[in-house]
Amino acid sequence: MRVESSTLMAAIFLDVPWAVVLILLPLAGALVCFISPAVAKSVVLLTVFANTVSVAGLAWQVMENGVYRHAVGGWGAPLGIDLYADGLSLLMLLMTALVGLAVSVYSTAYFDQPQAARFWPLWLLLLTALNALFLAADIFNIYVTLELMGLSAVALSALSGGKDALGGAMRYLLATLLGSLLFLFGVALLYHGFGSVDIIILGQRIVASPIVWAALALITAGLTLKTALFPLHFWLPPAHASAPAPVSAVLSALVVKASFYILLRLWLEFFAPLGVEDIGTLLGLLGAAAVLWGSVQALRQSRLKLLVAYSTVAQIGYLFLAFPLAVGSNVTAWNAVACLALSHALAKAAMFLVAGNLLRFGGHDRIADLDRVVQRLPLTVAAFALAGMSIMGLPPSGGFVGKWLLLEAALIQGRWDLAAVMMIGGLMAAGYVFKVLGFAFTQANIPQKSKAVPATMEWAALLLAVAAVLLGFLAVPLLALVGMGMPFGSSEVGP
Amino acid sequence: MEALSLLQWSFDGLLGLSLLWLAWQALVCTDLFKAVVLFIAFGLLMALTWVRLAAPDIALAEAAIGAGLTGALLLSALARSRVIQANGESLLNVPLAARKLQFRWLVAIILLIVAAGLGYAVLGLPPEAAGLSTEVAANLTLSGVGNPVTAVLLNFRAYDTLLEMAVLLLALLAVWSLGGLPQREAVTDPVLDSLVRLLIPVLILVSAYLLWVGADAPGGAFQAGSVLSAAGVLLLLAGWRLPLRLAQRPLRFALVAGTGTFIAIAVLTLISTGRLLEYPPAQAGTLILILEAVATISIGVTLAALFQGASPVHKEKQ
Amino acid sequence: MNVAFLYTLVGVGLFCLGLYALIVQAHLLRKILAFNIMGSGIFLVLVALAKRSGNAIPDPVPHAMVITGIVVAVSATALALTLILKLTTETGKAELPDEGGE
Repeated sequence: MRVESSTLMAAIFLDVPWAVVLILLPLAGALVCFISPAVAKSVVLLTVFANTVSVAGLAWQVMENGVYRHAVGGWGAPLGIDLYADGLSLLMLLMTALVGLAVSVYSTAYFDQPQAARFWPLWLLLLTALNALFLAADIFNIYVTLELMGLSAVALSALSGGKDALGGAMRYLLATLLGSLLFLFGVALLYHGFGSVDIIILGQRIVASPIVWAALALITAGLTLKTALFPLHFWLPPAHASAPAPVSAVLSALVVKASFYILLRLWLEFFAPLGVEDIGTLLGLLGAAAVLWGSVQALRQSRLKLLVAYSTVAQIGYLFLAFPLAVGSNVTAWNAVACLALSHALAKAAMFLVAGNLLRFGGHDRIADLDRVVQRLPLTVAAFALAGMSIMGLPPSGGFVGKWLLLEAALIQGRWDLAAVMMIGGLMAAGYVFKVLGFAFTQANIPQKSKAVPATMEWAALLLAVAAVLLGFLAVPLLALVGMGMPFGSSEVGP
Repeated sequence: MEALSLLQWSFDGLLGLSLLWLAWQALVCTDLFKAVVLFIAFGLLMALTWVRLAAPDIALAEAAIGAGLTGALLLSALARSRVIQANGESLLNVPLAARKLQFRWLVAIILLIVAAGLGYAVLGLPPEAAGLSTEVAANLTLSGVGNPVTAVLLNFRAYDTLLEMAVLLLALLAVWSLGGLPQREAVTDPVLDSLVRLLIPVLILVSAYLLWVGADAPGGAFQAGSVLSAAGVLLLLAGWRLPLRLAQRPLRFALVAGTGTFIAIAVLTLISTGRLLEYPPAQAGTLILILEAVATISIGVTLAALFQGASPVHKEKQ
Repeated sequence: MNVAFLYTLVGVGLFCLGLYALIVQAHLLRKILAFNIMGSGIFLVLVALAKRSGNAIPDPVPHAMVITGIVVAVSATALALTLILKLTTETGKAELPDEGGE
């Protein structure tokens, strides 16, 4: 009896269309939060918790039944739109769910009432956009989700209201709109070239021709602008540094990864079969420049949030180093990207939440004036130290596994230049992490008046950082998850 | 026949050149007010182009939203900035590009090369291609409506429309979250008042007509909603404000009704057929009409609220 | 069907004109005008190429995409204009504040 009812429950659990829930639930939650700000906090917490459960449900579904494809409206591509989930989508959804959960809990304590009422619906709409983007299989649908994501991210960045926040948000808006328009132009050319906007169908129909080169050039330009790849990164530091702390966390951890995810998907489905090593080399070169430039700039910063923002620029560079290293059927470089993306999301979100704590504590985020915070905010400093471990790439963190895999891929192919860039980047990361930690121990010249930091905020930051470190231990099951549906081997044949 | 084709070619050529010329003028004109007016004229010319390209649905949307509402938003922004900069220099007459000449030439040359490349790529496309029109035509009877564009928007690719309504709502939420803006100077104008009294009923009728006829002829929720918002904008310009008891919950309900109904129908179809937004063919037409009707109201209210700028119950104190 | 290609080239031209103005001009309101013109250019490319089909009725999917695009464009414009006005209130100028250049 017991066994029967549990298998029955399992069957019911497996039958729920989790992918659709992932999209509709945050959207409905946003509407409820807008109509009734009084219940918004509870609705948000419920929603992000249910979001995490749904990701688990979808993961189980994919494990049992293989790659998940849902024909919205019953029509199926190319007439209709499809939802698609494989290992790579699941990784991104998991990343979104975990960071989203921590940031939501953090935000319950961070915002005061008028700002919180504005924050919750915007945040849930951003979550909807992220989920919809990671589940999308249709490039015009991706355009709409990109716009939803970009506009909500801009609105969230401007929430603090001051001159810096507004200026950062304006730059962000200009960059995101330009990126979307370039992407849309590419979509238009691809549609008229090959008669569909579905990724799988396009992958089957694409042949090398001027229209494809034009479309891919436009799409790559748009997406690298949105991902803030050097030298198109100019908008990121002001926007991420002047936004409220939980917003910066989401921007650096999730939003930049979304456009990277699309670029990766399209690379695997379109570019790679066309044989475009040159673009891979270019992306790798820009990635290397991003690592070096971002790290140098991070070392020079005197404000913590700007330091962390430039660190994001550098870490994104690592992701792009994988493009020239991914050859043939060897998926080491892509596995490295998966580990790096997830661990960076967790660690960077933790770092921004730490910055928020320090801002609440001392009223500023000047690194040199961090007044013995190690004594007064031990959890926060521990969070920063653990997150820094992952950013530097120290074992046993997730960042270490990612950098190790990337290094391995580089050395196997004799790319000593890229390996050297990675080493130098790691050293410089250690430099800026230890700079901050060093000042955390010292006394400031002028003693600062301090305010209490709610425990929720400290624990949210710490748990994210611990997760980033523990990821190293979970690398094997993680890579098994990512491999479901063979996203990286999909250049040969569609799933 | 040759004369006709020559006539068509010269018309199209003239239209194309005018578009480019108007756009260029709007972008480089020194007087901002003139630039916005030129932009509105450009929008209307675009609407004409859409008609020429056999896209009447888009022509309606462009005239109402692209030229009309966007133009209204731009003019309203100019008016408000005049209030903001009452002490300082006017926002209207501002010198152009603050960039060095060499930089501008470099950008111009690069973009010329890009344009040439794109033009070459586009001209390489085969002169005849059906795209998805055959699939749409084959499934049109199952979709519940006769207008293929409405079928695509509200049935085949309804998921995109759901997300698009979320984008519209998001824009309003974002504008409200940014806080209050200086109000435009109030205007009492007898001409405006009588125009409003005349036009509002007409606009509401036109909106309802566009909604109803959109099932089988050019029209639909977005066009109808934008005409409704034009009525709202006129009312706001004439000084009317939403009564306070309607400004909190009822207004918010009206704003989310479109997206909310969409989600409700999505959940219903999910439960009944297991697939998102799969309408049973017999009820498809009714479902689409319900969706469009609620969406029209939501879109109208949202666009008018976007024009107004601040939440009606916005408190100045943070 | 060559008229379709004429309008497509006009669309490409509009896109590039808008992109030039976006990069070169400093005033934020002009940048918003530039974005709208770039968007119109892309829509023109989408619809003009849709007229290539041999039927009297052109391909409706690009038409639906353009209607979606127009709504998204007006949403973005509204947000951008509000942001510009807030920025002008704070800084007194309608340009990006100098912060490491553009």
